Amino acid sequence: MIQVENLNKTFKTYKRGTGLAGAIKGIFKREIIEKHAVKNMNFTIQDGEMVGYIGANGAGKSTTIKMMSGILVPTSGKCEINGVIPYLNRKENAKQIGVVFGQRTQLWWDLPLVESFGILKEIYEVSDKDYKVRYEFMNDLLGLKDFISSPVRTLSLGQRMRADLAASLIHNPKILYLDEPTIGLDIMVKASMLKGIRDINNEFKTTVILTTHDLQDIEELCKRIIIIDQGEKIYDGSIKEIKNTYGYMKNISVDLASLDGAGGLDLNTVLQKNTTDLQVEICGASLSVSYNKNKIQSGDILSAIIKHTPILDVTIKETAIEEIVKNIYSGKTGLGKQL
Amino acid sequence: MKIQRFFKIYSIFTSQYLKRIMEYRFDFITGLIGFFFIQIIGILFIQVVFEQIPDINGWSYYEILFIYGFAQIPRGLDHLLTDNLWFLSFNIVVKGEFDRYLLRPINPLFQLLSEVFQPDAFGELIVGIVLLSISIVKLNISFSILNIFLLIISIIAGTVIYASIKLIFASLSFWFKDSRSVMHMVYSVSDFAKYPVTIYGKVVQFIICYIIPFGFTAFFPAAYFVNKLPVLFAIGGTVMMSLIFACLSYWIWLQGINKYESAGS
Ligand SMILES: Nc1ncnc2c1ncn2[C@@H]1O[C@H](COP(=O)(O)OP(=O)(O)OP(=O)(O)O)[C@@H](O)[C@H]1O
Ligand SMILES: [Mg+2]
Repeated sequence: MIQVENLNKTFKTYKRGTGLAGAIKGIFKREIIEKHAVKNMNFTIQDGEMVGYIGANGAGKSTTIKMMSGILVPTSGKCEINGVIPYLNRKENAKQIGVVFGQRTQLWWDLPLVESFGILKEIYEVSDKDYKVRYEFMNDLLGLKDFISSPVRTLSLGQRMRADLAASLIHNPKILYLDEPTIGLDIMVKASMLKGIRDINNEFKTTVILTTHDLQDIEELCKRIIIIDQGEKIYDGSIKEIKNTYGYMKNISVDLASLDGAGGLDLNTVLQKNTTDLQVEICGASLSVSYNKNKIQSGDILSAIIKHTPILDVTIKETAIEEIVKNIYSGKTGLGKQL
Repeated sequence: MKIQRFFKIYSIFTSQYLKRIMEYRFDFITGLIGFFFIQIIGILFIQVVFEQIPDINGWSYYEILFIYGFAQIPRGLDHLLTDNLWFLSFNIVVKGEFDRYLLRPINPLFQLLSEVFQPDAFGELIVGIVLLSISIVKLNISFSILNIFLLIISIIAGTVIYASIKLIFASLSFWFKDSRSVMHMVYSVSDFAKYPVTIYGKVVQFIICYIIPFGFTAFFPAAYFVNKLPVLFAIGGTVMMSLIFACLSYWIWLQGINKYESAGS
């Protein structure tokens, strides 16, 4: 179980003046800037859960993971991983976690992958038998055979990411932190990686905490998401619930029979709705209408359009989780600022 | 069991490292030649000085050669084993590469040091052993069991002092991100240790004995073997200093780790 209570991390940086004068001034008097990367974070994650940890760039996701993995010492607050406080007992903590940072490999740059695995096997004290079984399992999942004897520095991004995931699993950790594990992967590799993560969670009841900017990954893997903004938690719950609560915007796409068919049509005036509840985008012969399903009927929109111009085809879509999260980040849902 | 594991990991790294060196043979050989070259200039310098004056502050040519040769050995061993500390001081911390050492269940300092094995150091080691052998014969230093034992002890202690001083200043990178220049400055103080400390002024003597104690990596232990200092002060002092600095440096290292901030991306 992962317990995070009132966790904070503040980075102190020094403001540098511009130009030579600023630099000289900086030697004598430096202005300290405090960056609150994580603020009063609270959450509990049970064994075997898969949780999506999402937020905009710089929201504090990686910083939280670094505190949970023992890299960073928190400024204040509590963080316990299965009863172990990571920064006080790094060794014990390291045995139970696996970590992948998408942007940076944890492997030895110059060593052939197979040697890296050999060293990790020793470091984690994995028996020959276990190692063999796990290696086979991961090879099936991630197709390591093609590049197992290449030095890590010669691997492509996707190959390296697969290697990193495999390396983080050599000791069969109880908890897996994945910080943007799918950046730069092609569709095939990504699909097999996501499947791999799901299989590992199924088979070993591994707890997985996943950050990514690709919300489809999250929707595919996680029931629960935690959304943070500027270091603070703004949502913690199921994806289903957030869709019900904030996914009230729907979208109608209409293909018109003629190119300028939508000319002179002003749906906002016709239906007497303002632009928060009804937004229209015209692109050549197609019309895209986003509307608040609680306030407007799709039939009304369609009949207004048909009255104006003949149409060929219609598609109606629920709001994707992406849209909701975009709205949350930009403050449209009212989540975040108040909470 | 545990020690075995450390050895195994170390040997995997070292053999990989040597394999790679064989790949880049040219780099390795030029490195070695470079080191020999520096050493030969150093010895020529002593020779030139002694052609002018028969002894310096009561030290004969071979006594000075003994100190000079002795100084190369702890320095060479340290160079062989702890070269990655340089890399820590200007690269590993500031780039956030230190993350990985904290993510594995084995001592971070061991991991760091085991990754690099620096065969350039054989230049220093070979020169040191040759000079030491020549001067031992010329000075008629006795080959008693006790002396051999004390020689080994003082070489180990000297190596520990070198490594500790480097560790202290490399650890400063946890606070200041890049500590290479101060580390360079301090390391160059070790050049003073190749000659008898008595030839320097009081301030320099104080610094290389007690502040940055490179004096204990060569001059003090060597002075015992040429009968200039009693064993208790010379060897005992060296061992004491190495213990004090080993503890101090490891403590600073641990404080540094807790100050580590990783990198933004
Ligand atoms: N080592 C550091 N020193 C100073 N500031 C830092 C450091 N690491 C992170 N920060 C700051 O803390 C904030 C949170 O950074 P963090 O890396 O946790 O964001 P993130 O949510 O992972 O973003 P991204 O999606 O871009 O990876 C940022 O404003 C960043 O500038
Ligand atoms: Mg990040």
